[in-house]
Amino acid sequence: MTFRAAFFRKIALLVVIAILLLPLFWLGQPSTSPARGARGSPGGILAQLRDRFGLSEAELGEIDPTSEAMRLTTLGLRGVAANILWTKADIYKMKKDWTNLSATLEQLVKLEPHFISVWRFQAWNLSYNVSAEFDDYRKRYEWVIRGIEFLKRGVRYNEREPKLLWDVGWFIAQKIGRADEWKQFRRLFKQDDDFHGPRPIEERDNWLVGKEWFARGEELVEQGATLRGISPLLFFSDRPMCQMNYSEFLAKDGIFGERAKQSWQRALEEWLQYGDREFPTYEGGTVRLNDKERFDQRAEEIWAELDKLAPGLRKKIQDEKRSRLRPEERLALDTPPEARTPDQQALAFEAQRKVHVTHREVAQRITGRHRQQALKLAEEAEKALEMSSKIDQQRTIVNFEYWRMRAQFEQTPQAIEAREYIYLGDEAFRAADLTRAKQYYDLGLKKWRELLDLPEFPQLKRDGNTGRELIDVIRNYQRILDARDEPWPKPFILQDIIDLHKDSVPDFKPPS
Amino acid sequence: MVVENPLPPFLIWFAGALAIWLGVVAAVSLVGFFLGWLAVALERGPREAVARNWQMICQAFQDFVRYISGSRISGLAYLAIKESIRRRVIAVFVVFLVLLMFAGWHIDPASREPAVLYLNFVLSATTYLMLLLALFIASFSLPTDIRNRTIHTVVTKPVRASEILLGRLSGFALVATVILIGMAIVSFFFVTLGLNHRHTLTAENLQSVTEGGGETGTLTGLTSSVFGHRHRVYVDVGGQGRVEVARGHYHSLRVVGSGPDARYEIGPPEGFLLARVPIYGKLEFRDRDGLDADKGLNVGDEWTYRGYIQGASPAALIWTFEGMSPRRFPEGLPLELTLGVFRTHKGNIEKPVLGSLAVRNPRTGLYVETEIFESREFAEVPEIKRLFVPRKIVNPPSVQIIQRKKNTPEGIVLSPPPEEVRPELTQKREFDLYEDLVDNGRLEVWIRCIEPGQYFGAAQPDLYIRARDGSFVINLLKACYGIWLVTIIVLAYGITASTFLSAPVAMVATIGVLVGGLFRDFVIKLALGQTYGGGPFESLYRLVTQENVMSELEPGLGTLLLKMADVIARGFLFAVASILPPLGQFGWANWVAHGFDIPWEHVLIRTLQTFAFAIPVIVAGYFFFKSREIAE
Repeated sequence: MTFRAAFFRKIALLVVIAILLLPLFWLGQPSTSPARGARGSPGGILAQLRDRFGLSEAELGEIDPTSEAMRLTTLGLRGVAANILWTKADIYKMKKDWTNLSATLEQLVKLEPHFISVWRFQAWNLSYNVSAEFDDYRKRYEWVIRGIEFLKRGVRYNEREPKLLWDVGWFIAQKIGRADEWKQFRRLFKQDDDFHGPRPIEERDNWLVGKEWFARGEELVEQGATLRGISPLLFFSDRPMCQMNYSEFLAKDGIFGERAKQSWQRALEEWLQYGDREFPTYEGGTVRLNDKERFDQRAEEIWAELDKLAPGLRKKIQDEKRSRLRPEERLALDTPPEARTPDQQALAFEAQRKVHVTHREVAQRITGRHRQQALKLAEEAEKALEMSSKIDQQRTIVNFEYWRMRAQFEQTPQAIEAREYIYLGDEAFRAADLTRAKQYYDLGLKKWRELLDLPEFPQLKRDGNTGRELIDVIRNYQRILDARDEPWPKPFILQDIIDLHKDSVPDFKPPS
Repeated sequence: MVVENPLPPFLIWFAGALAIWLGVVAAVSLVGFFLGWLAVALERGPREAVARNWQMICQAFQDFVRYISGSRISGLAYLAIKESIRRRVIAVFVVFLVLLMFAGWHIDPASREPAVLYLNFVLSATTYLMLLLALFIASFSLPTDIRNRTIHTVVTKPVRASEILLGRLSGFALVATVILIGMAIVSFFFVTLGLNHRHTLTAENLQSVTEGGGETGTLTGLTSSVFGHRHRVYVDVGGQGRVEVARGHYHSLRVVGSGPDARYEIGPPEGFLLARVPIYGKLEFRDRDGLDADKGLNVGDEWTYRGYIQGASPAALIWTFEGMSPRRFPEGLPLELTLGVFRTHKGNIEKPVLGSLAVRNPRTGLYVETEIFESREFAEVPEIKRLFVPRKIVNPPSVQIIQRKKNTPEGIVLSPPPEEVRPELTQKREFDLYEDLVDNGRLEVWIRCIEPGQYFGAAQPDLYIRARDGSFVINLLKACYGIWLVTIIVLAYGITASTFLSAPVAMVATIGVLVGGLFRDFVIKLALGQTYGGGPFESLYRLVTQENVMSELEPGLGTLLLKMADVIARGFLFAVASILPPLGQFGWANWVAHGFDIPWEHVLIRTLQTFAFAIPVIVAGYFFFKSREIAE
C-alpha cells in the first residue's frame, strides 16, 4: 500500500468517526444546570429521558463513589460480574460460609445499587433463610437485623422506591413479631440500642417501628412515587394493621386497661381512615372500603320505594318463580338449613338463585305512570349493589370487616377484662398454680360470655377468627380441669361457641 | 474450618502420585518422541529419524546432567533479573500497594470474621498479581529477545539451551521471590493495622450481677460498639476484669482504681491471628440401630459435607485418633469441635441442644462418658466448642462396654467379640486416659446428641485435638510459599510456551494452562461425566436450545451423534487435565484466614507437585527450543 492510499484511508476513517460522533452527541449530551447567568441545557435525548422518568443517579438516591468506581472498573461487564457474584453468594449460602456471603453481597450491591430485586431478594435471604440456619436465637435475631440493615441501605440508594420502605416495615413488623421466636425477638429488639439509637424503650416495639416505615412508604406514594409489584389495597393496609397487631401484642405482653383501650381506639381510627382511601378495582374504577354500608343502605331504600310503588308485586313474582321449581328443589328450600342433606344443600342453593327477584324484574312488571321512575330506581339499585359487591371483594382480601369489628369490641370493658383474666390464668397455669388458673379462667370465660351477648356485635359468635381463638381458650381450660381432675362443667358457659366452631380447629376434641 | 478434599497422608499420596506421574511422563514422552520422529522421517527417512531423535535425547541428557554449569545459569539468571528490572516489574508491587489503599472499599471491618476477609483479600491479591507478573515476564522475554536478535548475543556464547531456560527460570523466580517477600511484609502490617481497634468502658456501663436475689459483687456490662460489635465484660470483686470473645477476638482489660472512680483500660484485639495446630482423627458414623455406617444422615442440606446422627439413640459420631501418648498430652486432650445442629422440633428455643462427649478404647470397648455439653452451632466466631478430656476421669456420668457392630457380607461382626468383653472394666470409678482408654496409641472420641428429635452433624475436620499454637507469621509465610510455587509453575509453562510461540500466543497458551489449572477439578469432573448437562457438545446444544440440564434429550440420531462426540471430547479433556497443574489446590489462604497452621506435610506435597510439573515442562521447552534454528 502506498503512503497516499494509507493517508487517505486514515482521513476517511477520521471523517466517519466524526460523523458517528454527531448522533452520539445528540443522544448522550449531559444536561447542565443554569449558573452565572448562563442558561442551562436539558442535554441529549438520554439525559432528557432520564430526567423525565426520574432515572438520574441523583434522583434515585444517595451516590456512592465506591459503587460508581466499581461499576466503571468492570468496563461494561457489570451484568456479568453481578451474575458471577450472585452465583458465588448462592454457593456461600449453601456452604454456610456466612462471612463470605456477607462480603459478596456487599460487592453485589455496590455493582447494582439501583437493582431493587438484589436488595429485596438478598435481604430476605439474610433475614429469613440465613437466620434460620442458626441454632442460637440471639444469632438468629442478629441476622434478621442484618437483613433489615441491608434493606435500609438499599433505601438510601433508592429513595424513590416505596417497595423497599414497605419491605423494611414488613421485616421489622412481621419477621420479628411472627417468627417462632417472637417472644425472644421482641425482647432483643427492645434491648437493641445499636438499632434504635435514642428511641425511648416504650417505643421500641416491632409493630410501632414497622408502622413508621410503612408510613414512610405511604408518604412516598402520596408524593407521586410509583408503586410496582404490590396492590395498593395491601400496601396501604399494613400501617393500620401494625397498630392492630401492636394492640393485640399488648395483651400478650400482659398490658391491659386504658393503654390497651387507647391502642385499639387508635387502631380503629386508622382502619377507618384506610377505609376512606380510594383503591382501584380489577374491573376498573375505584372504591372506598367504608362505602359498602352506604351502597347497601341505598339499595334497601330503593327496595322499599319499589315495594311502595307496587305493593305485593315482588312477593307475587317470587311465588311465580317458586311455582316453577321442581318438587325436590321446593322441598330442599322448605327444609330448615341445619336439617338439609348435602344434596339438599346444593338444591336449595340453586333454588334460592332461581327464586331471587331482582329490582329490574320488579320495575319491568310495573306499568303505568310509575314505570319510568321504577326502571330508574332499579338501575340505581343495581349500580349500588354492584358497587357493594366490588367493595365486598376488596374487603375480603384484607379481612376488613373482621378487623373493624375486632377494633370495636376490643375497646369494650368486657373484652379488656376477659383478656386480662385469661392472661392471668395462663400465667398461673405456667406457674402450676391450678386453683388460681381455674379461678381466672372462670372469670375470663364469664367476661367472654358477656362480650358475646352484647347487642352491638351480633355477628361475633359466628365469626370464624373469634371462634378459633375461643376454641383455643376452651382447650386450655380443658387442660386446667384435667390437671385438677375436675369434671367438665354442665352447662358450659360457652357451649354455643363449641357447637359453632368445634370443627374449625382440626385437633380439637369437644369435652364431654 | 471446612476442608472438603483432605489430602491423604504423605506416604499414601506419594506412592499413588509417583505412579501416575511416571505414567503421564512416559505417555507424553512417547507422544513427543513419535511426533519428533515423524517430523524428521518425512524429510530424511524413518531410520535416520530414529537416529537423530536418539541423538537429541542423549544431547538433552548431557545438557541437563553432564555439562550443566551453575555459574553459567547464575550468569543467565543475572541477565534475566536485569531484564526484569528494565521491564519495570516493580510496577506489580506498586499496583499491590494501590490495591491495599482502596481495599477499604471492599473489606468491612464490622463483618462477622474481619480477619478472614482481610487475609483472604491480601493473599488473593498477591496470588493474582504474582501470576500476572509470571505470565508477562515468562511469555515475553524469549520471543522479544528473538525478535530483537539480542538472543544471538547469548546463543553465540558457549551456553547450552538447558542453561538458557533454567537461567531465565531462576532469574525470574528470584525476582518473584523478592516481590513476594515485599508483599508478605506489607500484607502483615495491613492486616494487623486493619484489624486493630479499641473499645471503651466506663463505670456507667457496668451493673452488678445478681444471683438468687442478692448481689454477687461481680460487675458486668458491654463495651462501646466499634466495628459493629461489643464485648461483654466481667469485673470480679478483686478488680480482675475479663472480656468475652466476640467476632473471633477478645481484649485485655486493666482496671485502674476502684469503686465509682475506677478506670477501665481495654487493650488491642487478641486472638484474631492464630495458627492452631490440629491433629485430625478419622470420622466414622454409628447409625440409630447401633451399626457402623459410612455416612451420616442427610437432613435435607444441599451441601452434603456434614453427616448427621439422631439424638437419644445409639447413633454417634466417632473419631479415631492415632499416636496418642502421655508424652504428647500429659494433662489430657484439648479438643475443639464444630457441630451442626438440626432440630426437628423447636424444643426450648432459649436452650442449646445437649450432647455428650465420651472416649472409648477401640480394643476393649470400654466407653467412658466425660462430659455433657451444650452445642453452639454458629453461636459465635469462631464457631468452635472447646472440650477437654482429662487424663484422670473421676466418677464419669456413664461407663459401659460398647461393642461396635459392623455389617459385613458374613453377617454382623462385633468389636470386641463377645468372648473378649470384660464387664469388670466398668466397675472402676476412676480411669486413666492412657492406661484404660488408649490402645496402642489409638483412641476413639464419641460425640452423641442426647435430646430426642434433634440431630448433630459433623465432618471429619470438625473435631480435632488442638496440639499447640504455631506462629502466625510462619503460617503466613507458608501461604506465600504456596503462591511462590504456583508462580514457578506458571513461569515454567510460560518460558516453555515462549520457546516455540510468539509472545502474545505464548501468553494466551499460558493463560490457558492457568485457567485450566485453576479449574482442573471441574475439567476432570467433566471428563469423567460427573457434571450435569452432559459433555461439552451436549452442553453447547443445551445452551443454544435453552434446554435445562436435568431433562433427557430426545432419543434419535442427533442425540446419538452428540453423545459420541462427547465421548471423544471427554477423552481429550481427560488427557489435557492430566497434564494440567492443580493450581486451585495450591491456595492456603483458607487455612491462614481461619487460623489453622498449614501442615508441613502439605507444604512438602505441593513442593513435590511443583517440581513434578515444572521439570518435565522445562525439559519439553528444551526440545522445542532446540528444534528452532536459533539454538542450533
